[in-house]
Amino acid sequence: MLPHEEHEGSRLDTPAPEEAEQEPRIPAQVQGMHSGLDVNATASEPDTNRAPKMSAREVSVFYGDKQALKNVSINIHDDRVTAFIGPSGCGKSTFLRCLNRMNDTIPSARVTGQIELDNEDINSTAMDVVQLRARVGMVFQKPNPFPKSIFENVAYGPRIHGLAQSKPDLEQIVEKSLKRAGLWEEVKDRLQESGTALSGGQQQRLCIARAIAVDPEVILMDEPCSALDPIATAKIEELIHELRGRYAIAIVTHNMQQAARVSQRTAFFHLGEMVEYGKTSEIFTNPHERRTQDYITGRYG
Amino acid sequence: MSSVPGSRWSEEAMLKRVRKRYAAERRFRMLGFSAVALSVLFLAFLLVTMAAKGLGGFSQHQAALPMDFTRTDLFLDPATLRGPDAEQAVAGADLATAISQSATAAYGEPAAELFGDAAVRALTKAIVADPEILRGRTTIWLPVASNIDVAAKSDGDAASEQLVQRLQSKGALRRAFNSQFLSSSDSTDPSSVGVWGALKGSFLTIVITMLLAFPIGVLAAVYLEEFAARNRWTDAIEVSINNLAAVPSIIFGLLGLAVFLNVMNLPRSAPLVGGLTLALMTMPVIVIAGRNAIKSVPPSIRDAALGVGASKMQVVFHHVLPLALPGILTGTIIGLARALGETAPLLMIGMRAFIAAPPGGFTEPATVLPVQIFLWSDEVDRSFVEKTSAAIIVLLLFMLLMNGLAIYLRNRFERRW
Amino acid sequence: MSLTLALAAILAVAAVVGWHGFSRAARLRTATRLHSLPSYHGAYAALWAAIPALLLLAAWSPMQSRLVDRAVLSSPEGRSLPAFDMQRESILSEAREIAYGQREQGFNPESSTLAPRIRAEESRFALMGGAAAILLALLAGAFALRRTKPEFRARRGVERWLMILLLAASLIAILTTLGILLSLMFESLRFFNLYPVGSFLFGTEWSPQTAIRADQAGSSGAFGSIPLLWGTFFIGAIIAMIVAVPLGLMSAIFLTQYAHPRVRSWLKPILEILAGVPTVVYGYFAALTVAPVVRDFGLAIGVSSASSESALAAGLVMGIMIIPFISSMADDSIAAVPQAMRDGSLAMGATKSETIRKVVLPAALPGVIGGVLLAVSRAIGETMIVVMAAGLAANLTANPFASVTTVTTQIVQLLTGDQEFDSAKTLAAFALGLALFLITLVLNLIALHVVRKYQEQYE
Repeated sequence: MLPHEEHEGSRLDTPAPEEAEQEPRIPAQVQGMHSGLDVNATASEPDTNRAPKMSAREVSVFYGDKQALKNVSINIHDDRVTAFIGPSGCGKSTFLRCLNRMNDTIPSARVTGQIELDNEDINSTAMDVVQLRARVGMVFQKPNPFPKSIFENVAYGPRIHGLAQSKPDLEQIVEKSLKRAGLWEEVKDRLQESGTALSGGQQQRLCIARAIAVDPEVILMDEPCSALDPIATAKIEELIHELRGRYAIAIVTHNMQQAARVSQRTAFFHLGEMVEYGKTSEIFTNPHERRTQDYITGRYG
Repeated sequence: MSSVPGSRWSEEAMLKRVRKRYAAERRFRMLGFSAVALSVLFLAFLLVTMAAKGLGGFSQHQAALPMDFTRTDLFLDPATLRGPDAEQAVAGADLATAISQSATAAYGEPAAELFGDAAVRALTKAIVADPEILRGRTTIWLPVASNIDVAAKSDGDAASEQLVQRLQSKGALRRAFNSQFLSSSDSTDPSSVGVWGALKGSFLTIVITMLLAFPIGVLAAVYLEEFAARNRWTDAIEVSINNLAAVPSIIFGLLGLAVFLNVMNLPRSAPLVGGLTLALMTMPVIVIAGRNAIKSVPPSIRDAALGVGASKMQVVFHHVLPLALPGILTGTIIGLARALGETAPLLMIGMRAFIAAPPGGFTEPATVLPVQIFLWSDEVDRSFVEKTSAAIIVLLLFMLLMNGLAIYLRNRFERRW
Repeated sequence: MSLTLALAAILAVAAVVGWHGFSRAARLRTATRLHSLPSYHGAYAALWAAIPALLLLAAWSPMQSRLVDRAVLSSPEGRSLPAFDMQRESILSEAREIAYGQREQGFNPESSTLAPRIRAEESRFALMGGAAAILLALLAGAFALRRTKPEFRARRGVERWLMILLLAASLIAILTTLGILLSLMFESLRFFNLYPVGSFLFGTEWSPQTAIRADQAGSSGAFGSIPLLWGTFFIGAIIAMIVAVPLGLMSAIFLTQYAHPRVRSWLKPILEILAGVPTVVYGYFAALTVAPVVRDFGLAIGVSSASSESALAAGLVMGIMIIPFISSMADDSIAAVPQAMRDGSLAMGATKSETIRKVVLPAALPGVIGGVLLAVSRAIGETMIVVMAAGLAANLTANPFASVTTVTTQIVQLLTGDQEFDSAKTLAAFALGLALFLITLVLNLIALHVVRKYQEQYE
């Protein structure tokens, strides 16, 4: 079968799994999770018998001599949204960038530990970084559309990866991605206009559409709303709700309310360590760690 | 097809595509590398060519000449050859004939033309240094004529080659450092030319350029960056400075010709006019470098000085300018180096004249090193090729020195805020 | 009194007046509180003494030569000179050179009799100007000294002088631009009085050989600028750019995107050396080494008209010279593309080269184009390479192995012969200069505008 047809038939049209809706309601005490440093913390969750989509073990990141991330272990499942919260400079974005090896682009950065995608080591030589990034998409803090037309922005990924066989094919992918990103109605009549001419919120949704267009398995979002106004933020959050279940989503956020609104799992980072990881409801109502509580109640951060 | 996510990436077609993309990546990278390598090769080729052709210019062949002064008709009395007039007295004697006769006596008829003007000059110097040699016989090493020199270094005409062979078989030919090349000036005889006059002219010209362009450039930069109000005048000044930095240098030569020579009646071919012309050309470069340096001084320094009650002028001259100075100096040196290598505008104001004596002052006729190179490159005589290339080596050394100084200043003093 | 002597005297006056002002203020300070430090009082007085006098001197010296000329011509020796302008002018300039000791003897016997008169008038007017300037220095200094009082704001006065200096310094840029425009236009207008503008702009024949005697054949000369403009464009904007744009752009991409920082820190200065090599060196290299190779190559591939002074040789070498220029402009433009844009592409799984070709370069394109325009402007104004390697034949040809000539070559050619200043030939050089200035001006303005707009886009 041609790659694109599979793309068509596979996950773009699969409805979100049912259980994802209910998952946050599972009682906290059944979980038996304690510290984020517990390697098998999420693997032991009874509600999920599937293997995690991505798992990180003992991941550390160094910038030159400075250690930015200390032994972080975490699992990311493909049917829920995982939020990383913490004060600025705590390493949450650094960790996110490890998941699709964007840290490779920083010459002084060095990553140790193991990160797996579907049980494949993403840092091994067998893993191709180009393919990895196609499978693990990313949305950045500041909207960064290319200085091209809206159409070309979305078509860029399918083009470089050769996902479309023909022009109509490509147009279909672009339309689908824009629809999925909730932007289609706003831009369908001006696909040839520059992507940079859109408003901030529209630009960010365009970037999400661009990421969706290569049909990734995981979407990483690095503070996607920090540059946007409240109305645009609400739209993006709504979009994250709709995308959940189709893609594994990891989101870094500065904004605790946002984490509470969009995620089912939350990890709290502080000074390069992951302090605590658990169900979002639990982290916000009944954290185990003192530092988490201090942060959530606004004592620092 | 399996429905395992990610499997589509391991299909053969997709793998092939990825391999192709990586091949394109490698090709692109190679292309970039070849571009840099090619440029560096060009530079290396240029420098090697100049060195290969020019190093010969720093040496000169000398031939041993046995002279019996008792048998020449020089009518020079060693006893009178004391004091400052000695040189003139020796110059009055017909040394050229004496040399020619001695050469014929020693090496046969073809050797009559073995020596040229340079030999006469060298012999004069030797006699003035030690008049006692006039009393007897002596063998003296004198620089050979330029066609013989060419024949000895590479290949010349048949007659010269033969003479060279004869001299070599007698051990009467040697290669020595050509000290004259650095100490004498232009001449019609290639064996006695030198770059000293041109170097001195270049020096005088650059001094004028520096004295004018540096203060004016710095003051203009200070004004534009610190005091100028945003209005049409300031915009006009900015645009004209940015444009002047990119105006062809020959236009400045035309300006110099029309204004400095024809309107102000300043002396032609003088370092003063050359320096003025080059100063107009260099000033915009200094202004632009100066503005960038001043801009990079953080505002907190200004606020701190203003906070203790310094006036705006004091802030600028006590704090901002000293901190910006390394950057300004770097830009100035680079601008002056460019002026040092400039030829075209100086041709316009008449610095291309044949000038055999080094200039004594700013208003005397002079030439500069690049123009000297241009003049020699036009000479037909083959021995000028190595002189031209040798002068190029001297010029490049000076450029290297100045640019090296600029890089040193930049690395040593420039701080990042 | 010579200029240097007057200059030294004025500076001495200024120093004395300045010292006087300083010590007066210092004495006052022991009694009362001063508004300004004594050093400002000193500087204030010194500036007043020096600046007006120096301005007078600067204005006087160009005027002096005119006054001397007039006085000499009206003297008995001067009246006997031939009335014909050119002849008189040449005798005068000879006499001037004798008077300054630059030559022993002139071709015209009158010049030697004129020389002592010139010397005498020269010293008379110099004494006049110098004395006036020194007097002004003393007067202005005295005026400033009288203001040395405790409540006098000397610092403000000094700063006002400094401000004037700063403003004057920056006005020099405008004056230079105006000077270029006016002098070129003035001489060009004189040229267009002798030769029609239309024929200059659209004529396709260039042969500036005017006759020295009126009865010689071909005395008019043809000044059609089209072949020169074409040659300039062919060498500078086509051949040189074909060499420099790909090499410079790819070098910049390699150095900024691929090279290890340590390799980059070595290679970048080495490339910059290429830009620092004087153009006369490139010209010699082109004429001596490249041109024969190009000619032999042309003959080998069957171009019988291959000349040893070819457009290709000059253009190739000029292209090499321009490489670092393009490279550093492209470097700046590429560096200005935000990292976020690059990250966006890399995060989609694009390879580095795909990111560069499809995202970074299109984004940097305006900056790169601006840089190329500036490079073209520099290439067409370049003189020495074409003077030494491109030849003098004004051919209207697209054959790169043929000899073509350029605007700059012809300006040099027209102005370095021995001829009177007013002939059509010399004036034509200024008309060519005006054309060159206007073309580069337009290119520069467009390029600077494009580059600035581009930089603002990402700020």
